[in-house]
Amino acid sequence: MPTVVVMDVSLSMTRPVSIEGSEEYQRKHLAAHGLTMLFEHMATNYKLEFTALVVFSSLWELMVPFTRDYNTLQEALSNMDDYDKTCLESALVGVCNIVQQEWGGAIPCQVVLVTDGCLGIGRGSLRHSLATHNQRSESNRFPLPFPFPSKLYIMCMANLEELQSTDSLECLERLIDLNNGEGQIFTIDGPLCLKNVQSMFGKLIDLAYTPFHAVLKCGHLTADVQVFPRPEPFVVDEEIDPIPKVINTDLEIVGFIDIADISSPPVLSRHLVLPIALNKEGDEVGTGITDDNEDENSANQIAGKIPNFCVLLHGSLKVEGMVAIVQLGLEWHGMLYSQADSKKKSNLMMSLFEPGPEPLPWLGKMAQLGPISDAKENPYGEDDNKSPFPLQPKNKRSYAQNVTVWIKPSGLQTDVQKILRNARKLPEKTQTFYKELNRLRKAALAFGFLDLLKGVADMLERECTLLPDTAHPDAAFQLTHAAQQLKLASTSTSEYAAYDHNITPLHTDFSGSSTERM
Amino acid sequence: MKIFSESHKTVFVVDHCPYMAESCRQHVEFDMLVKNRTQGIIPLAPISKSLWTCSVESSMEYCRIMYDIFPFKKLVNFIVSDSGAHVLNSWTQEDQNLQELMAALAAVGPPNPRADPECCSILHGLVAAVETLCKITEYQHEARTLLMENAERVGNRGRIICITNAKSDSHVRMLEDCVQETIHEHNKLAANSDHLMQIQKCELVLIHTYPVGEDSLVSDRPKKELSPVLTSEVHSVRAGRHLATKLNILVQQHFDLASTTITNIPMKEEQHANTSANYDVELLHHKDAHVDFLKSGDTHLGGSNREGPFKETITLKWCTPRTNNIGRSVLLEQPRKSGSKVISHMLSSHGGEIFLHVLSSSRSILEDPPSISEGCGGRVTDYRITDFGEFMRENRLTPFLDPRYKIDGSLEIPLERAKDQLEKHTRYWPMIISQTTIFNMQAVVPLASVIVKESLTEEDVLNCQKTIYNLVDMERKNDPLPISTVGTRGKGPKRDEQYRIMWNELETLVRAHINNSEKHQRVLECLMACRSKPPEEEERKKRGRKREDKEDKSEKAMKDYEQEKSWQDSERLKGILEHGKEELAEAEIIKDSPDSPEPPNKKPLVEMDETPQVEKSKGPVSLLSLWCNRINTANSRKHQEFAGRLNSVNNRAELYQHLKEENGMETTENGKASRQ
Repeated sequence: MPTVVVMDVSLSMTRPVSIEGSEEYQRKHLAAHGLTMLFEHMATNYKLEFTALVVFSSLWELMVPFTRDYNTLQEALSNMDDYDKTCLESALVGVCNIVQQEWGGAIPCQVVLVTDGCLGIGRGSLRHSLATHNQRSESNRFPLPFPFPSKLYIMCMANLEELQSTDSLECLERLIDLNNGEGQIFTIDGPLCLKNVQSMFGKLIDLAYTPFHAVLKCGHLTADVQVFPRPEPFVVDEEIDPIPKVINTDLEIVGFIDIADISSPPVLSRHLVLPIALNKEGDEVGTGITDDNEDENSANQIAGKIPNFCVLLHGSLKVEGMVAIVQLGLEWHGMLYSQADSKKKSNLMMSLFEPGPEPLPWLGKMAQLGPISDAKENPYGEDDNKSPFPLQPKNKRSYAQNVTVWIKPSGLQTDVQKILRNARKLPEKTQTFYKELNRLRKAALAFGFLDLLKGVADMLERECTLLPDTAHPDAAFQLTHAAQQLKLASTSTSEYAAYDHNITPLHTDFSGSSTERM
Repeated sequence: MKIFSESHKTVFVVDHCPYMAESCRQHVEFDMLVKNRTQGIIPLAPISKSLWTCSVESSMEYCRIMYDIFPFKKLVNFIVSDSGAHVLNSWTQEDQNLQELMAALAAVGPPNPRADPECCSILHGLVAAVETLCKITEYQHEARTLLMENAERVGNRGRIICITNAKSDSHVRMLEDCVQETIHEHNKLAANSDHLMQIQKCELVLIHTYPVGEDSLVSDRPKKELSPVLTSEVHSVRAGRHLATKLNILVQQHFDLASTTITNIPMKEEQHANTSANYDVELLHHKDAHVDFLKSGDTHLGGSNREGPFKETITLKWCTPRTNNIGRSVLLEQPRKSGSKVISHMLSSHGGEIFLHVLSSSRSILEDPPSISEGCGGRVTDYRITDFGEFMRENRLTPFLDPRYKIDGSLEIPLERAKDQLEKHTRYWPMIISQTTIFNMQAVVPLASVIVKESLTEEDVLNCQKTIYNLVDMERKNDPLPISTVGTRGKGPKRDEQYRIMWNELETLVRAHINNSEKHQRVLECLMACRSKPPEEEERKKRGRKREDKEDKSEKAMKDYEQEKSWQDSERLKGILEHGKEELAEAEIIKDSPDSPEPPNKKPLVEMDETPQVEKSKGPVSLLSLWCNRINTANSRKHQEFAGRLNSVNNRAELYQHLKEENGMETTENGKASRQ
């Protein structure tokens, strides 16, 4: 998930930090130091993360749009000027716009706000924003909660005591609350110095920027992988104790399904699955991705030449047009597949389904999927020309059957006209005529709409009188019979009024009078 | 929406008293004049629905929408009320469909206008509604059983939608009081019962409906809390279409739905592709599908709000698929003020169910990822892609809907069976072609394909034995083996050495499965009896010392596949250990794997440029590369080996020198090759 670093460049950030002896530091230097550390960490361990840099005072500016080029971000850090007062709300509005323009409203983003805890004065100050929070209209809505899934990390270039001496901490806590509790405030432990800033940013890195390592397993075939972006815990909207679900670090393949069968399923999130080489201590040696660094290069070279299960799996998934179903946790599954970025580049991807026993209705319950060898005969057919999927729902949806709805007059008129059209083509359309008639009859009985039955009976009788001389004699018989039956149904006492009763065509035999036929 | 929210249980209470037989006074023309008919026919007089018909029709529509979107876990109990309460269905899932309800309603029939109004009341129905809310649903029961001692934490909430014709506001208040009192009483009863649940929250939605043109005697009132358990709201609605619209709005509120109108749907896609005839369809779905519009504030409301001022729908345009290969899916385009086109949604059908997918129209955070060929294992070119494809097809999944039981009587979970099978099938599965002999031999297939099975038939055993005899025969005839010729011009080790490698590998495969059954054991016995093992003494003389150590190691490794670290691990370890060494170490790594057969005389990879086999494993195998591979394998068996190279197996010193010389070239050449 992309990161926006929001850096306070108001004058208060230039306040000096008292350090004995050595050269004078300002708070902004501490901030830059911490961010450098963050960027360096990302450049080595989290290099696919997109990061943008925003600076703000009373105005805000997008210094670096979303990029994976950490050198550019680093450079921007050293080119920051000092401006006037802190005006947090407008900066947060800016973040909303930047993120939504780039990523829309569905992709989770992390906002790292770096400030000194001086929240501005007068209009535009955080205190003012919070005080007027309840008097907002839709047009000047407060930017929190962010209109996208988010985490707001507030990195304070101040220690707790300093923040507590004013109401700064309270205001910042309000901010996290307003973001639905999504986020955290970090303060410097002890005196303001480079070392303590490092340890504060270290905590942020541990919390939000540690790569997710897992073992991909298919029986005895295994590979160490990094999953990027790291899968975030998912809160199931459960009745009891909504515990965030975290995915297993063992990603166990349970079987395979054709792409055509799984179709395009809804997913929570999509992730790259990158094979990695780990040394004994479990530290990442390299992702095998070529790099300028020479040491790394040789490590990558070696890693590249050791057969890896991910590559085998990816190749076969791609060739066969299949996906691997992978178990992520208790009643939680996902799928692995090959995704082509371009003609040359393709990748092993993992999509997470929504947790639950039956994430994709057309596959049925996941636990009920078993190996084809257990089936009496191969459900895919001997020539691979069949498929057990999709499963049909137990009850058809209303749009998959002929449900009668007369809420709009047009619905009723269409149904009546259908009967009429078929009535005029009797006896050829006898079957359809009675089918439509029975459908109307059933609905009218259920809705207690007996006047309709009488009305349609009258209509059929009139049709009978309007039959042209050329009409088949059977037409008149059937129309009279149908009208009579509808009237019986509308009196609602006889057995003919039973819901399950069907009007059947009158049995006629005109074989003897074939001269009548046209 | 939580499972046991108010929406889990909905009770419809519809008034069946005599006044409900009154006309809604909204006429329906049903006898529409059709073209080319004889002039002068007077159409039949329009008819109108009764208050009852309007109520039933609208509530059925509510249920239809609910069942379509939530086929499970959202339940309806339908009650009609006159001189008593008639409960038309139960909470069980089987009762939850329109057909059941329609049949039950038909049995009730329309209200009798001549019945004595004094005996009839909606109160009977409301009391029954409270009673039914206390009844446990199968889902609640399941959740309670699962939670055991915490069973009381399963919620029991519900909603009563009552459609009636009330006399006044005080009449409405009387109904509310009655519900409140009944809840109070029944909660007391439920407290002392095992099969009843107390109502924690009840939402009463009172809908007063009256004929069009009359004045309402009841005023609207928004939701109000009457007690901690009961909230109530009053809607005063004219009958006819107004009532249907009201219930349509309510179902959207109650189940978090939103509306999308799809425009420009061509009539019969293909046949009339050139005609301009098209139509619109409105869909209801979970409102999450509009999350992007709602958050960005870009709500492009449907143009003409024919349905009234409060009906909001988002318009999306149907994009007729040009080709059919997308299957049963259609992309939907979002009209933007700027005129730019954005495909924002997709409709697709699975087994007769329609799904609306939200597509991401913004930048992807996964753009420009590193290619898999650049990562770990990306440079290896002889993966058994086709074999693993076959493996995947054998391990495809299929639904087992009927419960199956194990021998001990416990329920068998099909997915666990699938995992077991994967475990069995991968006990011995070399990933690259140059690491295996037996999987490159057609002659081994009959054995290899059945030995992984959980149990063998007599016929399977026989086939396995036949396979072994056949191999013995091949060895006797001194047939060549397809022993890793990848990247070599030479033939590799001597014939007897080749067979020894092959037998060892086969033994590893069979040993990995001997615990499956006694029949598997028999296959191993046959193998051990048949395979040739040259006397140890002779072997030792033949081989150099270093070689001998290695052999021991490999033989030991084969004894037990479980103990043996999966070869990738050992490889990787080696890779790391040798990290610091010179490049030449790389050639060693694959060779050194304990259980893989010697990739004999592995020549430096620079040679690969001259052999088309380098094509073999760049991702998908083309027909050409398959063919080339086949031809090359065949050819490599035919041509004569250089005498010098034949002896070079044990002559390590010489081989190393050779490697070193060409090493520099090798990396670059190879790098190029895999990047092609």
